Amino acid sequence: MPVVELSYTRLQKLVGKVTKKQISDSLPFLGLDIESEDKDLVRVEYSPNRPDYSTDFGIALGLQGLLDIKTGAVKLKIKKSDRYQIFVKSGVSKIRPCVTGIVARNGVIDTKILEQIIQMQEDIHMGIGRKRTKSSIGIHDLDKISFPLTYTTTSRNTKFTPLKFDKEITISEILEQSDVGRNYGYILGNFSKVPIITDSGNNIISLPPIINAAITTVTTKTKNLFVEVTGINKNDAENTLSVVATILESAGFDLESVKISGAKNSPPKLAQKKISVSASLINQILGLNLSTSKICSSLKKSRLDAISKGNRIICTIPAYRFDIFGPMDLVEEAALGYGIQNLEPILTPSQTIGQINPVSLQLKSLNQIMIGLGYLEALNSSLTSKYVLYDMTNRNTAKIISVLDSKSQEHTILRDSILPGLLENLSRNIHESYPQKLFETGTVFTIDDPISEKINFSSISAHKDANFTEIKSILQSALKTGFKITIETKTSSHPTFEAGHCASVISNGKSIGVIGKINSKIVENYKIRMPVVGFEISLSESIL
Amino acid sequence: MSQVFHDIEKKIILSLRENPKQSPETLEKSTQLSPDQVRRGIEWLKLKDLANVHESKSIIVSLGKNGIESFQKGLPERRLLDLLKGGPRKLSDLQKDLGSVFGTSIGLARKNNWIETSSENILIKNLPLEIPGEKTLNQIGERKLPKDEIDNDDLFSLLKRPDFIVEDIVKTKEITLTDSARSIVISDSSGEIDVEAKVPDVFVARTHPLKDTIDEIREIFVTLGFSEIIGNMTQSSFWNFDALFTPQDHPARELQDTFYLDGISAKKIATPEQIRKVADSHNKNWRYHWDINEARKMVLRTHTTCITIKHLAENTPDESRVFSLGRVFRNEKVSYKHLVEFNQIEGVVVGKDANLRNLMGIQREFYKRIGITKIKFWPTFFPYTEPSLQTMVYNERLEKWIELFGMGIFRPEVTKPLGITTPVLAWGGGIERIAMLKYGLDDVREFYNNNLNWLRSATKCQ
Repeated sequence: MPVVELSYTRLQKLVGKVTKKQISDSLPFLGLDIESEDKDLVRVEYSPNRPDYSTDFGIALGLQGLLDIKTGAVKLKIKKSDRYQIFVKSGVSKIRPCVTGIVARNGVIDTKILEQIIQMQEDIHMGIGRKRTKSSIGIHDLDKISFPLTYTTTSRNTKFTPLKFDKEITISEILEQSDVGRNYGYILGNFSKVPIITDSGNNIISLPPIINAAITTVTTKTKNLFVEVTGINKNDAENTLSVVATILESAGFDLESVKISGAKNSPPKLAQKKISVSASLINQILGLNLSTSKICSSLKKSRLDAISKGNRIICTIPAYRFDIFGPMDLVEEAALGYGIQNLEPILTPSQTIGQINPVSLQLKSLNQIMIGLGYLEALNSSLTSKYVLYDMTNRNTAKIISVLDSKSQEHTILRDSILPGLLENLSRNIHESYPQKLFETGTVFTIDDPISEKINFSSISAHKDANFTEIKSILQSALKTGFKITIETKTSSHPTFEAGHCASVISNGKSIGVIGKINSKIVENYKIRMPVVGFEISLSESIL
Repeated sequence: MSQVFHDIEKKIILSLRENPKQSPETLEKSTQLSPDQVRRGIEWLKLKDLANVHESKSIIVSLGKNGIESFQKGLPERRLLDLLKGGPRKLSDLQKDLGSVFGTSIGLARKNNWIETSSENILIKNLPLEIPGEKTLNQIGERKLPKDEIDNDDLFSLLKRPDFIVEDIVKTKEITLTDSARSIVISDSSGEIDVEAKVPDVFVARTHPLKDTIDEIREIFVTLGFSEIIGNMTQSSFWNFDALFTPQDHPARELQDTFYLDGISAKKIATPEQIRKVADSHNKNWRYHWDINEARKMVLRTHTTCITIKHLAENTPDESRVFSLGRVFRNEKVSYKHLVEFNQIEGVVVGKDANLRNLMGIQREFYKRIGITKIKFWPTFFPYTEPSLQTMVYNERLEKWIELFGMGIFRPEVTKPLGITTPVLAWGGGIERIAMLKYGLDDVREFYNNNLNWLRSATKCQ
């Protein structure tokens, strides 16, 4: 989850007449988790579906609503203008077909605001921009650009001076030498040409979605901005633009429109949408009995516009709230505006009768029996390593089920057996007193169109007199006392067990597992200095 | 005050009353007990605060090779003087008689002005009253002695000579009785034992502490009217993600968060109608091209929600309370707060009157039953619920609010395509986190270390 750093004093200026405490009490009720606080600074985690919360401007809008200082939808005031135009060439269609943009004038950019804007850009790129694949933003100093612009393609040998560089280099070099080039260059695929935005003087101002040109760098001296968003579909690009436009307007800029034409592109609408919801749905879902006017005022506190028509509430939703899909989202907005802290939990008696799953019951019985026999329950991960599961126990590695790209070396394959894990447990406890007697029940996995999951039961005993008779008595008694199951043991062999001390466990004429003395070489591998006996049987094929 | 003592203890106390400072060795002699019995007896008395053990180090002095020779034959200079007592002797004769100590003896006697040379002969000049070192040599020759019991000036003259003196550092123990032991009445009656004495622990066989927590949670929800359902840990992406309205390009679906099974895809994932409707919901709302091959990829379930949603899709009940409990997986770096595999509980309520306040009420009741009463609810975001909340519970030990279960009402985009028409309340969260609070653990890995020391000692009822 992305994190944004806020200053209480800045928020107080943006929100209006509020105390620091009111702000810190309200943040969680906007869905913002306070991560840490240090005097004036507070770091909050926000959900990526609310990119407007990537800046304090957006959070201030939310706080104003919740604290009843300013409610209702934020309206974008965009001055129609013919001065700014982008022509799109068809060459971009296959690579990155959409461009949209807006002009923001007469703002003041101090270092704080610049930080906020850069943070917003990065967060949007990672979140709704899906690491710049779906949409990416370029923010430029308007006064360094001569309109009209052209969104077109060029060869990878074309040179320009990218942001933070001091000389011209080729696009290929940018993709190889800069961090952003290396991280996002793949988005441009294998096309020989790459998308660029040029101005009327044919200067490259942007190489979307990688980097801007140095010439349009935004500094604290910049007064007027040009924002372009490119992407793979118009809808996502305009959603992204709507967030940036809303934030810039809140930051005090005057917005002006940009004309866009060519290769199926058109100017952004950034229009509000209307969704209606019935008051009874809201009351039903929340378990409340609110009047329509209370619902409308709650929605307004969530910075939406709402009017009632009979039982229906008609909501007007600003473009930047594209996380709102339908009526159920409005139920949540109403709940937030009403205040989650005002919802009193209730406990209605259950109309249903609860039941433990029969599998859990059987496992619990087996647990009780093993404890009665003096065995301690162990728990190991299903996801283990080839080393523990196969190498150490000498087992065949033919049918390993592995996971891709595990971050942990110890967790790379799914277990098909429980016993190796228990042996590993013994090896980690060689300094503890003996006898050591452990058991575990758990899921094991095998490949079977696509995967079969069964429940196994394994147990081991390690002490100086551990022997076959002892462990066979344990298994025999556990199954007989617990489940009226009788077993026989038939001479067998298994790589984990000592030859001549190993048997198949037979129940109802079917082999359900293996029992015996653990091979002394394996015991030695594990540095265990006591004889070990054990078994593993399938419960899915016996008691479940 | 009268107390029952073991025979060993009695003997040691009585001996120390007669002779108040003793080493374990002298106690062995005075009590006729074996070294092991004395050791145990002292240990018991110490635990009962009846005996003090004072440990000290001392230097024990004994004779080396040359010292032993001199003890037996006399110091070289003494042997020389003895030879000269009978009158002057020739140097060559003395050399023959004294052998290897000839040089040493002549040198020392000359230096001390005991002898003089007249033409070819050596004769006594002054016969000394005593020879330095001779007294000490005879003392140590009898038996080893602590250094502080010896005249150190006298010893010094021997220390200068090679291989004369050996010094050993020896630890000694001195046992004394405490004040209370001196006055305590020792009961004579035989056959009684010390019922107040400490005894060793035995290890109790038991269920794993985490399993205890899981069982407790299971039982609480059963008594709240929920039935337990179970399902596979390996799931198609369809049930783990797509059916829960998580778009196929959502970051949670990336390899770095989710475990995909290498090269394994499911052929049958759902009914054709379910697949079609889920695809439509994605295409329409997320505006992208939904890909069935992506949905076929097998993953280790990232939550147990896939089990409950599958159950609801198969049964489409009008009224139901079910829960699922089991292992879930996340591709994380293992640390004190993260595991790749942990347990989760996930429950749903279906019914016409299922609403947010009821959902909060079920949570509050659950927390109350596990002993947590200070809770609050905050809004949050999940892709498949709307509205969504999380519970914050206050932990007294850590003195802070901790995030526990998440909850919400399944989005219509989730339920509608699967034919579910009534509201579905859903909630769930990790169990290890609750168990950590219960057992006061700060490292979640402890649950899967199978450290016998911990398993054998963790208190069952917390």
